[in-house]
Amino acid sequence: MRKNFAILSLLVILSMILTACGGATPAAGEPVVVKETVIVEVPGAEAPAAEGPKVLNLSFGYGDVPTLDPAIAEDTSSIQVIEEAFIGVTHIDEETSATVPGMATDWSSEINADGSETITFNLRTDVPWVRWNGEEVETVKTCDGAADRLVTAGDFAYGINRNLDPVNASPYAYVWGFVLKGAADYNNGVTDDFSTVGVEVVDDATLKLTFIAPAAFNTQIAGMWIGRPQPKWVIEGDCDGAVEARGERWTEPGFFQSYGPFTMSEWIHDSSLTIVKNPFWPGTADIPVAKIDVVNFSMLDDAVAFADYEAGNLDSSAVPGADLDRVKADPVLSAELVTAPVMCTYYYGFNTTAPVVSDVRVRRALSMAIDRQSLIDNVLKGGQEPAQWFSRPGLAGSPTMADYPDLGVKSDAEAAKAELQSYLDETGQTADQLDLTLMFNTSAGHQRIAEAIQQMWADNLGVNVKLINQEWAVYLATIKGANTPQIFRLGWCLDYPDANNFIRENFDANASSNPYTDGKPSGGVFYNNPDFFAGLAVAATESDAAKRVELYAALEQTLVYDEAVIAPIYWYSRNTVTKPYVVRTFGVGGQEALEKWDILPH
Amino acid sequence: MGRYIVRRLFYMMVVILVVSIITFGLMHAIPGGPFSREKALPEETIKILNERYHLDEPLWKQYVSYAYAVLIPHITTIPPSTSLQDDFLVNAQIGSVWFRWMNFGPSFKSRSRTVNDIFRDNLPISAQLGTMALIIAIAIGLPLGVLAALKQNTLWDYFGMGISILGVSVPVIVLGPIFVWVFGVALKWFPPTGWGAKPPYLFGFLPSKLGWDFFKYAIMPSVALGLGSSAVIARLTRASLLQTIREDYIRTARAKGLQERVIIMRHALKNSMIPVVTILGPLFAALVTGTFVTELMFGIPGMGKYFVTSITNRDYPVIMGTILLYAVFLVVANLIVDITYAFLDPRIRYD
Repeated sequence: MRKNFAILSLLVILSMILTACGGATPAAGEPVVVKETVIVEVPGAEAPAAEGPKVLNLSFGYGDVPTLDPAIAEDTSSIQVIEEAFIGVTHIDEETSATVPGMATDWSSEINADGSETITFNLRTDVPWVRWNGEEVETVKTCDGAADRLVTAGDFAYGINRNLDPVNASPYAYVWGFVLKGAADYNNGVTDDFSTVGVEVVDDATLKLTFIAPAAFNTQIAGMWIGRPQPKWVIEGDCDGAVEARGERWTEPGFFQSYGPFTMSEWIHDSSLTIVKNPFWPGTADIPVAKIDVVNFSMLDDAVAFADYEAGNLDSSAVPGADLDRVKADPVLSAELVTAPVMCTYYYGFNTTAPVVSDVRVRRALSMAIDRQSLIDNVLKGGQEPAQWFSRPGLAGSPTMADYPDLGVKSDAEAAKAELQSYLDETGQTADQLDLTLMFNTSAGHQRIAEAIQQMWADNLGVNVKLINQEWAVYLATIKGANTPQIFRLGWCLDYPDANNFIRENFDANASSNPYTDGKPSGGVFYNNPDFFAGLAVAATESDAAKRVELYAALEQTLVYDEAVIAPIYWYSRNTVTKPYVVRTFGVGGQEALEKWDILPH
Repeated sequence: MGRYIVRRLFYMMVVILVVSIITFGLMHAIPGGPFSREKALPEETIKILNERYHLDEPLWKQYVSYAYAVLIPHITTIPPSTSLQDDFLVNAQIGSVWFRWMNFGPSFKSRSRTVNDIFRDNLPISAQLGTMALIIAIAIGLPLGVLAALKQNTLWDYFGMGISILGVSVPVIVLGPIFVWVFGVALKWFPPTGWGAKPPYLFGFLPSKLGWDFFKYAIMPSVALGLGSSAVIARLTRASLLQTIREDYIRTARAKGLQERVIIMRHALKNSMIPVVTILGPLFAALVTGTFVTELMFGIPGMGKYFVTSITNRDYPVIMGTILLYAVFLVVANLIVDITYAFLDPRIRYD
């Protein structure tokens, strides 16, 4: 930074001198002016060649990208590529989480007689399908070769159909099941007639989706990767066999087709994936034409990727927790470091039917006895925020710390002690007699957090909590079954930016952390509160935004304080270093909008 | 000898069958399944996924279908399709008939790939790395061990064994990041991550172009990986050679007045190679099928990680594939070792 500043000052001084000279030269005579005209012409011809393509090098994290097929994707790296290659009807702004136009220029909603909501999307008609031909991006032609294949409403319907078709066994199809009319039955094989699903192709430019009930998040879900067009002609073959059917391998390099601001050009499994600018993407106000020509993603472990960043081979990288102190102390690296929020929540859940923690006072005491700020400052060190409730601020419908500074649960050792004492007095026990177990999945990071919190509980409450860890898949089976431990760790990240995706999809009856069997709680938090569940449904369909936040605030208060079903611990952040010549945004949902990035000459 | 090899091949098949049954049983016995997620999938979705991969069938039936798909050659007139369920390692066309063999199934995690794709794309890289590491291990370990034995209790001995103790006690997990930092980040002699060869490979496993572009990536990880094994080889060579040069026949050779060089090279070294060759078999199998830590440290897209991640992901076909691959390499390497014995020590006879 200091060096750059020195160079910059030197440049400023130099330019001053030059201007001074320039000011002086005209007096010397005419030839200079002639020379100037010549100079103007030459750079015009030479500049593009001198610049070359803009190449950005990033890392995905260790391991292969599981798939590029929007119908079956479920992880962040797959979705990152899909977000660049296929655009949904709507689009989520990566920084504000606002719903903005994607392939649909606009949409209108009407409420049907049966209470369902039909949204009519008016689609762009100027977006061609493209493919990488080994040398450059080219448009895909129709069978007779006369015209470009354009993205149509039919491509959207085909994409939704593939996602819901049980044959493809999509792990995320259930999100449609929640909201889209007939989607659950079609996905579960109750019917094999796709026309029973609320998807209607009016014409090439008009798509109608019918949702079970009106809700603020319907347009968000419509734009998710589960509803993106897919090239039927590549998957199933077309033009009387002239276009070969690629089946499940259609996402492999050479076969892959897409239409977004970037398309995939090379994918060396387990090693790297390259996307290139699609010059045929028309560009919209929210999704501009890409400025960068090539983006290489290597698949490296975080620590290895950071070393590669320091060696100058990557332009941006996550900072591993172990390197954070060093990065902050380094004058160059600290200037390149940005801590940005991520839409995830880390929490401890309580099995509300297990001994001891079945009493709400114990749960509340344990939650309040966690000194979240101290945990962040001394253990995590990554700029996380203490979580007072579950649905992370920044999501639509979620309360914010500015408006609700005292909502939810706060760290308060004295109040915690009082709550626990009231329980102990009533049951005639002492704190050290309480038999409590905290379980987490095996990982050094979770271990350190658990040990810190174990110590806080011992210091603030005098309880001795046992720590147990299990390997990930074993752990998941444990905490979703009858033997759920008293306290267990989990985290949650967004699928679509709405509070409904957090609180309802986790703690509603038979939701992710509150599984039910035969209508009764059978795992996780073992929570059964019909009023709370009804409240979740009401908040989901509330159309007034301010009112909605109020409803969610009340529900959060029930979840984390009144009933203390969970102890929210922190809201995620991430630490990223980026070279100073990269112009970028920071996506809060786990994906980056690479079409907005740029590389300055350096 | 011929009969011996045939008999051994038969035993090998039995061993691999037993390994496959135990692995199949164990991986289904551990709790959790391939579709366990932090964001739990709805029951209906899991049911659909289980049906797709036939995980809803009884275990014995799943095993029989697996063994059938892998072992029994399929002779058919239907050409290969693009389905991931229909990917065979061996595809030979004779006229209009297809001879197709070894279908290890699709990966549950990478949903556009099969286990055979992993063998085709990742195994060659691990094999290249492993072979180079083994060459380095032998090239360093063998001379170091011989030197230490011949100059026992001299500075040479202490130096050689000191290095080998260092090699054993500083594992790749320590050496790797040091190499990356010193030679990759600070000195910039080599790229810190990556591999210099990509598909298609020569004969299915050799890099198509050998040159600086290949070796600049390969040198650091091969040395880091080979150093630890070289230490083992050096110690074994030293111990074995020390024992051999005290044998009566060496004394006889000396008494006959043979040159010291001939005694060591032709008589002592050849006979002392038996323990070294014995460990080279399993070492070869372990290095060539993939080394998780080394590949992780240097960002090499090899097979190693699949041995670990397939288990955490409960990716059943990949677990079976990797374990069987390792088992085959191991038993074949051991067979070659046993055949080598007969060459090293003519007293060993198998018939």
